[in-house]
Amino acid sequence: MKKNLQWKVALVLVVIAGSIFLAYPFDDTKIKRGLDLKGGIHLVLKVLTDDSINMETDQEIARLEDLLKKNSINFQKITKEGLGRIAVQGTLADQESKTRDLFDEYTRDWDYSFTGDRANMTLKPLVTQFLRDQSVEQAKQTIDNRINTFGVAEPLIQRQGADKIVVELPGVDDPDRVKELIKVTAVLEWKLVKGGPAADEATLLQATNGQVPDDAEVIKGDPKRGQGGYYLVDKVATVTGKDLRTIRRTQDEWNNPAVAFSLNADGGARFEQVTGANIGKQIAIILDKKVQSAPVVEDRISRAQGGVIRGRFTAQEADDLVVVLKAGALPAGISYLEERTIGPALGADSIRKGLLSGLVAIIAVMTFMVIFYKLSGLIAVAALILNVVLLFGALAYFKASLTLPGIAGIILAIGMAVDANVLIFERMKEELAVGKGILSAVSQGFSRAFTAIFDSNLTTIISAIFLFQFGTGPIRGYAVTLTISLVANLFTAVFVSHLLFDLTVKKSAKKLSI
Amino acid sequence: MQLFKTPKIQFLKYKYIALAVTAIIVLAGVLNITVFKGLKLGVDFGEGTLLRVMMKTPATEGQIRDLLQTVGLGKSTVQKSGGTGREFQIRAVETVNTKAEERGQLEAHEALADKIVAALRGDDGAAERARGLVDLNILDEKSLTGLLESAFPGSGPEAAQRIISYRKETGIIADFQILDGLGLKPELQTFLKEKTYLGKLTVLSRETVGPQVGADLRRKAVQATIWSLLGMLVYIALRFKLEYGVSAIFTLAQDVLITMSFYSFTNREINLPIIAGVLTIVGFSINDTIVIFDRVRENQKLMRGKGLEEVMNVSLNQCLGRTVITSGTVFLTVAALFFFGGEIINDFAFLMLIGTIEGVYSTIYLSCPVVLFWQSWFGSKKAGRR
Repeated sequence: MKKNLQWKVALVLVVIAGSIFLAYPFDDTKIKRGLDLKGGIHLVLKVLTDDSINMETDQEIARLEDLLKKNSINFQKITKEGLGRIAVQGTLADQESKTRDLFDEYTRDWDYSFTGDRANMTLKPLVTQFLRDQSVEQAKQTIDNRINTFGVAEPLIQRQGADKIVVELPGVDDPDRVKELIKVTAVLEWKLVKGGPAADEATLLQATNGQVPDDAEVIKGDPKRGQGGYYLVDKVATVTGKDLRTIRRTQDEWNNPAVAFSLNADGGARFEQVTGANIGKQIAIILDKKVQSAPVVEDRISRAQGGVIRGRFTAQEADDLVVVLKAGALPAGISYLEERTIGPALGADSIRKGLLSGLVAIIAVMTFMVIFYKLSGLIAVAALILNVVLLFGALAYFKASLTLPGIAGIILAIGMAVDANVLIFERMKEELAVGKGILSAVSQGFSRAFTAIFDSNLTTIISAIFLFQFGTGPIRGYAVTLTISLVANLFTAVFVSHLLFDLTVKKSAKKLSI
Repeated sequence: MQLFKTPKIQFLKYKYIALAVTAIIVLAGVLNITVFKGLKLGVDFGEGTLLRVMMKTPATEGQIRDLLQTVGLGKSTVQKSGGTGREFQIRAVETVNTKAEERGQLEAHEALADKIVAALRGDDGAAERARGLVDLNILDEKSLTGLLESAFPGSGPEAAQRIISYRKETGIIADFQILDGLGLKPELQTFLKEKTYLGKLTVLSRETVGPQVGADLRRKAVQATIWSLLGMLVYIALRFKLEYGVSAIFTLAQDVLITMSFYSFTNREINLPIIAGVLTIVGFSINDTIVIFDRVRENQKLMRGKGLEEVMNVSLNQCLGRTVITSGTVFLTVAALFFFGGEIINDFAFLMLIGTIEGVYSTIYLSCPVVLFWQSWFGSKKAGRR
């Protein structure tokens, strides 16, 4: 064997061995299947980032009130003018410069201007941007935590665009449960009950002349928990989900599923004080603005003791509540933009049929190549098999998953691989027909066909790269497999099959098996 | 083996006829798309809900439609899929109030999906549920494990896993008898019969796309296509000449238009896999075009003094064997997918069947003529450079 042939053989063997090593044992652990093949849930959700701006505005109003009062600045009232817009009304002209100084020092996130007796404040665009971005990031973290606590193998949770999050959960068979788990904001609050429950708001507010008192709010009961009606509760929560120290599922005295909690030192102290002062009154446990239960305080609950949340939970609901409370509350609401649940039966079916048809097709093509081109056809078949092996190696290496459009990409690539060999062989025949010698026909066949193969493969690769860059999920899957197989194609159909010809065609050969 | 002795067909003699034929097909297709039927956007690009369900007992499309009629959704598209007569695909067509807030819209679609499932279910299982039984065809693995574990400590996980994987494999548990075949203990089977019932259907897949995402996906698909066409134009113009790049783009536009025209006549929906199909056709077509252009480039050096049309004819003839073999093998592959590939691949394969033939046609009767016309209109300044 010639020296340079030895090197080429070694290179090819290394590449084959590498691919097999990467992809072995060619199953689920190495070649990931996309959701369309495996089954699972695909969700695109949008974080309602306005919520976080709203919250920031509310908090700023509270802070401002505090700040201005502390510094004895007179004003009538502070109003919320919109998202990230506040107005301090009824300010005094002679206090303006002092107010400006305060604003400059303490409210750096806000732009302000004075007109007459009011100061208009707007949240700076950069800060707005930051808050929005942060709320999406936090939402992603929270969802991540929840999914992990719930226990799903290989979830994919990533941001898309400015305010979207994509969640892919392979193999999950209960979409509604997961959706609910992701979606609940999970803001848990304990608030003292001032009135209710009543059948409707009017009845509830009879005692207060139809007005909601300034320090109270109306909250609905959660029908799922058997809490109909409306409650009038304190505006300020005694303790919230942030004060929780531990939380776990338990059973109440009637063996119904319930959730046990204990509080941290700070929250525990408050809880102890409030329960001690309100024995005989009701305290509402509120999740996402819905009353879960409103037990009567029977005794002072000491800080170490903790308590139990009851609410006619099923075991599953109690479990899920534990999951979301542990993972923390979402910083903003979310809404679903897109959801796909591919049942596993569909996945299995698609795969079985896809594999069968693919196999039939490949065997048919290979048979044709061998019949039509004889030994040369056999070389082409070897190159084709190698192409597929390389593809799987690369898929495993890039951790790309195989999807239905991805298979379409493979089909195109295999078609082009066959075409490359056909081009070469037809060219050899032409060279033989004009009376060239065998060795010269072989080398001319490869070199003349090469430009066509190179240009067509590269054109397609270029288009695939753009598709990857600008396309969405499934189109990207297509672009990835296509690019990989075409690069592999340039290697197998040109380099490897040329090498095989060099190795098998002897100088003394009288006839080329083609 | 030789397919043909190099033939001498004057392909380009018929270029005007071919262009006329092409124009008629495209015109008919475009008319059909814009004026008459329109393209049916699948759930990926339009908004809405697509459900696939598996029934416990075989049913007909009419029966399913009747059930939907009871909740005022009789206009939904119902399609049988698979050969069992138990699998159906339902696309809800009720339009959602566009004024509703975006947040509300997807939820409205969602509610629609729930409504459909509820309608199909009817009062099936109500009596059982009242007795506290659960539907074994809905129960997830965790809950089933819990249920079994409560009565048979230690054997819950394994039994649940077997039952659920059977359900995943076949889509639905039609009869308690099959539990026998899964190697479950008789007392466990009795327990299941007491504690669970078999609901009449399972939901195999459920896709809901909100309006914002639908529009987003449409826009991205168009954007991706335009950029990749531009990329190809630039590369071909650099490797060959500008007119070759331009003609390649014309060719691809024709490929897309003709396949879409055929597609519009068959009432199939445009989904993401179909986009992959169109891209694949474009890929094959560009491959075919470049092979011919490459040969033309080479022959121009060999056949000095001959007109471009003649050079093209010779090149087309020289490559004819290759064209037939390559397209033939691809056609073979796609035919296999079409006949054995199953429901989801079927639309894709159908498209490819048209596309493979069309791709060859477009190379001969559009790529080459466009280059010819370009050179006769703008002159070939670089004709001397060979």
